[in-house]
Amino acid sequence: MRYHIEHETILEFVHPVREHHTELRLTPREDLNQKLHSSIIETDPPGKLGHYLDYYGNRVDYFCVIQPHSRLVTRLIADVEPLRANPFDFTPVPPSEQKEWYRKQLKEEPSLNDYHLHRSSVVPPILKLTAEIHRALPRHTPESPVMSTLLALMEWIPTVLEYRPGATEVHADLLEAVRKGGGVCQDFANLFISVVRSWGIPARYVMGYQAPELAATTGTSQVATHAWAEVLVPGGGWIGFDATHNLLANDRYIPVAVGRDSYDAAPQRGSFKGDDPGNQPVVNISIGCQ
Amino acid sequence: MNSTNGSSGNKPRISFHEFYDDDFTPREHYRPLWDHIRATGQNSLEVKAHESQLALQTEGVTFTVYGESDEGIERIWPFDLIPRIITAAEWVKIESGLKQRVRALNLFLNDLYTDQKIIKDGVIPPELIYQGKDFRREIMGITPPQGIYTHISGIDLIRAEDGEYLILEDNLRTPSGVSYMIENRVIERRIMPEFFDKYRVRRVDHYPALLLDALRALSPRGKDNAEVVVLTPGVYNSAYFEHTFLAKEMGVELAEGRDLVVINDIVYLKTTTGLQRVDVIYRRIDDDFLDPLIFRSDSTLGIAGVINAWRAGNVALVNAPGSGIADDKAVYPYVPDIIRYYLGQQPILKNVPTFQMTNQKDREYVFDNMERMVIKAVSESGGYGMLMGPSSTPQLRREFVDKVLENPRNYIAQPVVYLSRHICYMDGELEARHLDLRPFVIYGEDIQVVPGGLTRVALRKGSLVVNSSQGGGSKDTWVLSE
Repeated sequence: MRYHIEHETILEFVHPVREHHTELRLTPREDLNQKLHSSIIETDPPGKLGHYLDYYGNRVDYFCVIQPHSRLVTRLIADVEPLRANPFDFTPVPPSEQKEWYRKQLKEEPSLNDYHLHRSSVVPPILKLTAEIHRALPRHTPESPVMSTLLALMEWIPTVLEYRPGATEVHADLLEAVRKGGGVCQDFANLFISVVRSWGIPARYVMGYQAPELAATTGTSQVATHAWAEVLVPGGGWIGFDATHNLLANDRYIPVAVGRDSYDAAPQRGSFKGDDPGNQPVVNISIGCQ
Repeated sequence: MNSTNGSSGNKPRISFHEFYDDDFTPREHYRPLWDHIRATGQNSLEVKAHESQLALQTEGVTFTVYGESDEGIERIWPFDLIPRIITAAEWVKIESGLKQRVRALNLFLNDLYTDQKIIKDGVIPPELIYQGKDFRREIMGITPPQGIYTHISGIDLIRAEDGEYLILEDNLRTPSGVSYMIENRVIERRIMPEFFDKYRVRRVDHYPALLLDALRALSPRGKDNAEVVVLTPGVYNSAYFEHTFLAKEMGVELAEGRDLVVINDIVYLKTTTGLQRVDVIYRRIDDDFLDPLIFRSDSTLGIAGVINAWRAGNVALVNAPGSGIADDKAVYPYVPDIIRYYLGQQPILKNVPTFQMTNQKDREYVFDNMERMVIKAVSESGGYGMLMGPSSTPQLRREFVDKVLENPRNYIAQPVVYLSRHICYMDGELEARHLDLRPFVIYGEDIQVVPGGLTRVALRKGSLVVNSSQGGGSKDTWVLSE
């Protein structure tokens, strides 16, 4: 299925700001599992766009607005086609060879170490959370197939966290959500990642969209960005786990940016001069089928 | 332990004396100086000491100390009259050792930010890099001009009990002290011109010219069209004196972040006559604060967009972002391996033996012998975040055990090395004090070590801490020509 995505962000300032630099991680990823048919970024005031691929493989588009302005609008318009219809469609590595498989991957691509070593306030070491988690942590033994352990972990997450819209802010400490016993999709993804990393298995944070249930094939829906986890699975590569919905990411998931945590994959980052801290950005996203 | 000890095990731990030999007679290269001091008498030294104080005050040679309160105190640079003298033969070894080390560390940085062969080949454990605070993922894949990261390095040397020069630490981010190296020479020449009569001392005052030359060579618009600025965090920085000094000596602008703006990947200086393009930024700001768009978003010291301008090849940043991972103190024990790996040579200058706190055996040994150890936080400098075993209290030692256990990657330990001593003129007496040496290395079209450096002196009797932020002083440092 091909999706037409529009993602607009409006920043408004009471007092004009200037020398405003912005980086966007909005262009959907393009790899074997996703085809990007077209993608364009528009800004108002208009700016000359530059771009590069960051360390995590995300396309970054950036621009600056030097003159004073009290409103900044950025808009992505993309036509994208996720291809992985069945995330189970791969030949798993036998459990006895999993350990060696990981060792080889990490040796050939040292940067993968980031995805099991990284700790931050949004993805803390699991030991920092256990005092607040009043049930046994799922375990992973080398003999068990990684896929089945991960599926069991996905079942376990809702026993710790309940989905509560607005319960936490973006980049919130995971500890806060675990204490409250509730959170949003980022917290679900972060808890999942935190446990997987405690097993020494590479896991990363994904920011993207989940295609909405569409009334008709030509329909359009208002949606928000979504967050889930990807785990490096022996034989399968990066497989997406949506702990919020207890689903594997298939071709209804559109990954945009990945990273060690939500900071790395933030859709928009800016720096400007002026006294106005700015209002909460207004984000309008629509996804339609083609 | 990852390196070998420079001094042999069974000798008594008496520090090496730079000035006197074992029979308490002045070493040969100090004899002309000694004869002169004896001939003129100590009264003359007293007058000269006073004159040097006045000169430093008039010149405004200062540094800022930060203590308990946030407001820094500006102090006159402490200077000792008696020069430290390094023979030509000693310098040959120091110079070749430093060149070798800086060359290898730059190859290491270039590899880390591109192919990471050294990790793939199992020479460096990946955790060391990926858990290092100063490994900058944001610059991965960007190769600076000629693959050089550390255009300016300040490498700290000490002398072991047997007199062998050892590397104590590498400073590859924004090493400071070079202005004091030059000012010390200016003062020494003015106050003690007769000292220089009997020696052929190599010059150090051409450092700003060498630096400017190296900076201009990095200009994307070519050497003859190079607008260079010195970027300072501002007057509250402890090295602000040096920032103004270098800008003035090189005849380039001293700028703060707010004086610069990036427009479509080009950096400009805001001047009264409009925007002026900037080609090379000698930045004396840490990576964290360099670009709020990329690194710490709360930084008001940096220049938003400068990393993207650098990536686009429109400006040179000196030293290159990301250099700090190579002087991370947890990487330090691996530098001898790094030299062997990239150059296929044995290190000319050895490391101080170092214990890694991530290694359980090392850790237990250190905890059992804390009174004889220095424990250092890996990403701190200036003598901060450090435990000096011999002068520590049991409570402080217990605190350090907890700190190390909480984050072993963050600490290393070294057996206390009794730094070499030198006579100093202290309140009317000639007394011995411990010292170290920081030579400065410029990596431009080739690698040059300025013959000299900053000799730092622990002014407190018996103290081994030479950092100026911790009450250290300094001496003029003479390297003799053949």
